[in-house]
Amino acid sequence: MNAFNRRDFLKGCCVSAIAAGSGSRARAYFAPPPLLPATATDDTLVIVFLRGAMDGLSLLPPGASSPYRADYETSRTNTRVPLSGTGAALALNNTTWALHPRASGLHALYQAGHAAFVVAAGQVQPNPVVRSHFEAQSNLEFGVGGGGSGIGWLTRHLVSGGLPSNVPLPAASMGSITANSLLGSSDAITMNSGSDFRLDTFHWSWQEDDAAHGIVGAVSRMDALWNSNATLLERAGMETLDSLALLRPIDFGLYDATNNPDGYQPSGGANYALANNGGFGTQLRNVAQMIKLGLGLRAVTIDLGNWDTHVGQGNPTQSYDWFGNQVESLSQGLSAFYTDLASAASGNLMQRVSVIVVSEFGRRVLENSDGGTDHGYGNVITVLGGSINGGQVYGTFPGLASDQLYEGNDVGVTTDYRRVISEALIRRMGNPNIYYTFPGYSGYAPLGIFQGADLPPTGFDQIFKSGFEAA
Amino acid sequence: MASAPASAAFSAARRRLFDAVFASVAPTTDLRLSRRRPGRDGQFDDDLPQSPDALSFPPAAVRWLTRATFGYSTLDLFAFNALGADDDARWQAWVDRQLSPATIDDSACDARLAGAGFTTLDRTPEQLWAAREAVGNSNYFLRMLPIAETECATLIRQIYSQRQLYEVMASFWHDHFSVFGWDYDGGPLFPPFDRDAIRPHVFGNFRAMLQATCESAAMMYMLDLYTSYSGHPNENYARELMELHTLGAENYAGIVSDPDDDPSLPTYIDWEGKVQRLQYVDDDVYEAARVLTGWTISQSTWETRNDPNPGAFEYVQALHDAGVKRVLHRNFSAGGGQNDGTHLFDMLAQHPGTAHFVAGKLCRRFIGDYVPDSLVQAAADLFHQRWTEPDQIAQVVAFILHSNEFKTGWGTKMKSPARSVVSALRATLANFTPVPDNTSTYTPTEELLGRLQAAGQRLFYWPAPNGYPDTITAWSSTGALGLTLKLLPRLLEMHQTESYNNAYPFLVDIQGQTLSAFPNANDRTAGNIIGFWCDRILGYRPQPTFGVVLDFFRQEAAATTPIDLVTDSTSNGQPQHVGVWHLNPPNTLSMHYTIARLRVAIGMLLCSPEFLRR
Repeated sequence: MNAFNRRDFLKGCCVSAIAAGSGSRARAYFAPPPLLPATATDDTLVIVFLRGAMDGLSLLPPGASSPYRADYETSRTNTRVPLSGTGAALALNNTTWALHPRASGLHALYQAGHAAFVVAAGQVQPNPVVRSHFEAQSNLEFGVGGGGSGIGWLTRHLVSGGLPSNVPLPAASMGSITANSLLGSSDAITMNSGSDFRLDTFHWSWQEDDAAHGIVGAVSRMDALWNSNATLLERAGMETLDSLALLRPIDFGLYDATNNPDGYQPSGGANYALANNGGFGTQLRNVAQMIKLGLGLRAVTIDLGNWDTHVGQGNPTQSYDWFGNQVESLSQGLSAFYTDLASAASGNLMQRVSVIVVSEFGRRVLENSDGGTDHGYGNVITVLGGSINGGQVYGTFPGLASDQLYEGNDVGVTTDYRRVISEALIRRMGNPNIYYTFPGYSGYAPLGIFQGADLPPTGFDQIFKSGFEAA
Repeated sequence: MASAPASAAFSAARRRLFDAVFASVAPTTDLRLSRRRPGRDGQFDDDLPQSPDALSFPPAAVRWLTRATFGYSTLDLFAFNALGADDDARWQAWVDRQLSPATIDDSACDARLAGAGFTTLDRTPEQLWAAREAVGNSNYFLRMLPIAETECATLIRQIYSQRQLYEVMASFWHDHFSVFGWDYDGGPLFPPFDRDAIRPHVFGNFRAMLQATCESAAMMYMLDLYTSYSGHPNENYARELMELHTLGAENYAGIVSDPDDDPSLPTYIDWEGKVQRLQYVDDDVYEAARVLTGWTISQSTWETRNDPNPGAFEYVQALHDAGVKRVLHRNFSAGGGQNDGTHLFDMLAQHPGTAHFVAGKLCRRFIGDYVPDSLVQAAADLFHQRWTEPDQIAQVVAFILHSNEFKTGWGTKMKSPARSVVSALRATLANFTPVPDNTSTYTPTEELLGRLQAAGQRLFYWPAPNGYPDTITAWSSTGALGLTLKLLPRLLEMHQTESYNNAYPFLVDIQGQTLSAFPNANDRTAGNIIGFWCDRILGYRPQPTFGVVLDFFRQEAAATTPIDLVTDSTSNGQPQHVGVWHLNPPNTLSMHYTIARLRVAIGMLLCSPEFLRR
């Protein structure tokens, strides 16, 4: 592994600007709300967003002894996951739910106590329920149940979560465009691919600094082009140049003894090469590398799309199985990520990493006549980590009989997604400010998924209530 | 509801108070918790202006042309200046002319399109269908050639067409009726979607375009309408029809039981004197899906496998739900047949919610992310009043382009990655004809499209039906902006035919244009040259950009000292491209690799905030 240049990080962190007082690159970032919890940990929270509404009843179908199996089989024919024969569901300990057969990686993690599921989970806000992908996604990511504030819930967590001053890279949104959950955060960088994210296209002769000859290359001079707080655009440009500089010393390519000896070598034989959705595997690999490098990652968002299976969803008895291919990407990718970090040279890093897999809503119980499923409501949340009480299925399932369905069509929601995330924020991240992170949320109680200490939930802004500012 | 504090001053005040109050309680401070990363306090300040100081605005003509075209070019400015006595008169004439695209000579662009040798763009739906069936799974390149050629032809038009406003609006409507071009079934049938559904209606009538996009095979595959039948409607198209194509999420009221009896849902009297709901609910989506059952593509399903004109729109009465339906509080009598659908399109096209949603998007595209609602509403009223007129859209566009907000504003938007590339190629007078590539050499087309994809905006490549984002927030993400800053300088290093082969000319002849601008070698000073390129690319000479790039280009030479841009020690008969190596003693940087350095300097101009602002 390549040596890591701390000085370059500090350069990226604008320490020089501090040394120079309010000097050339002083920034107009706003001061944070200051009540920082002393309980803050250095864990990492990874949010995987399954965009397009994943069919939870296919990922986690009722098993053989499940009271819901008969209703499930009535509603699902072309999209059914069978219990025997080709493509049979995988049985799970401690539950009557079963797992999609292509989720073998998740299955192993669950059986080992490193994965858990929450059934009938989702958004209880807003009411009425929305079935628009885009609105439901942004509701979940803004965490305010409708009406985007331009500030994502992860941003509010980071602001209120007690982040120390010396963290080079607190958050990453893996994609070309920032996930809404990290919108408004100056702690987050956005990048689609680690190895691609660098300025290297000027003609080589004038690109890099060359101190021996006195050359100050174009890449260094970009700072001077964007050195003002004139508008939001300049601010974004400075943020971008800082992020590029921060990651420039890292070789994100995969290790190759001949062609890339400084590249990244996953530990424990972790295989991130996915047959489908290859970019998802690469992004997980980049995140694992950044965690191992100790950049201080606290929050990460990664997307896996293509779940909107209105037509031809497939089932595991077929040779062409769209949904199964998707599940395999998810399962193999997360399994590689877990293996890689759990077997890191510096120890089991998964003990400090939690993964929560969410989707904007579930799919309708009754499949449609195109071999697909339409937009539904309640869904499955998957949780992974080295410090969770795994090997269990959490949540109360309302049932699949028609009189048990939400509005007669859908799996209901009995567990608010904010409850699951809040537990991770308190028990793993040490941030009790969950009512600040999720405005409007109340009545939190842990389900017991995560290991860690409970803290009384607070709202963070409470202390500033009337009278304080006037003083 | 608690929300993030709104201003830096407010937060600073809170911090001071907090420090004062708690200093007595907690005399020792844990350094870990004392402060955020230097310079980064967690949340962005909302107080920064969206627009620069008015004193640093470029001239009016540059601003207007930048926002109404795919980017400012000096050639456009020359033409603009010939249109009248003052800027306002010229703008009136320019908009009038652009809104009548057929009157604009576009022979140079047409010649470039003809030279590209596209083969699929004129094919009928039936011909494209036959070609797709013939190639099957045997050759992916040939199968997808129709979308690949559409993509290249669109880039050529955006760069070279004189009908710039038309191309800007074509791009707007493709984002509005967004179809992922590389769908395995729909991609081979894509050209008629662009040619017959979008382009004839760019300045025309929204109602006509709405139905034309619905009936196009690419849209049918995108949103599954082709497979929506009586008894098992597929609601995908109906939902996006309401949420994305017409009423918009701003007019969505969610799941409401008995919406017709719910007094909280506002109504109005529509153009036929009937009560209509102003907002739609889920029941409306389900009912609209029933309304459109039977609208399909010939031979796309088992039921239509023997029908004539494969690949063309077909209405199949037997697959249509003949029952009573109810949409937006209006009744659809039983047995309405295909008229159910055309009536639904009428209802949605004339709906005031649609007018507001579409007008808002148009204002945001041309003016900025935060347009006063008074302007949006005025544009919406016009859109609504003229909904049956054949030039409805042209009237609304003209209204926006002549608004005070358009004419006086600047800089509240940025160029998206694709727009910045097209703008750069226009400003630098590139010679580039992208064509689909299936060769083993690395062509500039292949490279450009790959880099655009990495920056997040390859054309017709947005997977979801909501179209590419149109906000500065999205495109100023570190990921998108970083990859845009990486892409723009590379345009000046790419070669024709084989993008990394020095034996071919560059896409952009920076050296040649500079030499012709300054035929006398004594005039080739750093000051003159950077000034020339600032004018050409930005339309003015803003600081600090002008100074930063000038200082880089001149190195230790005076800004008034001529620079040698002709002598090239490494050309070996190839196009001159680097200059002379001068890092050995006496190590004169201002003489070192001047030709390459000029390209790098111009690349820096393309990476400036002023270039990306609009």
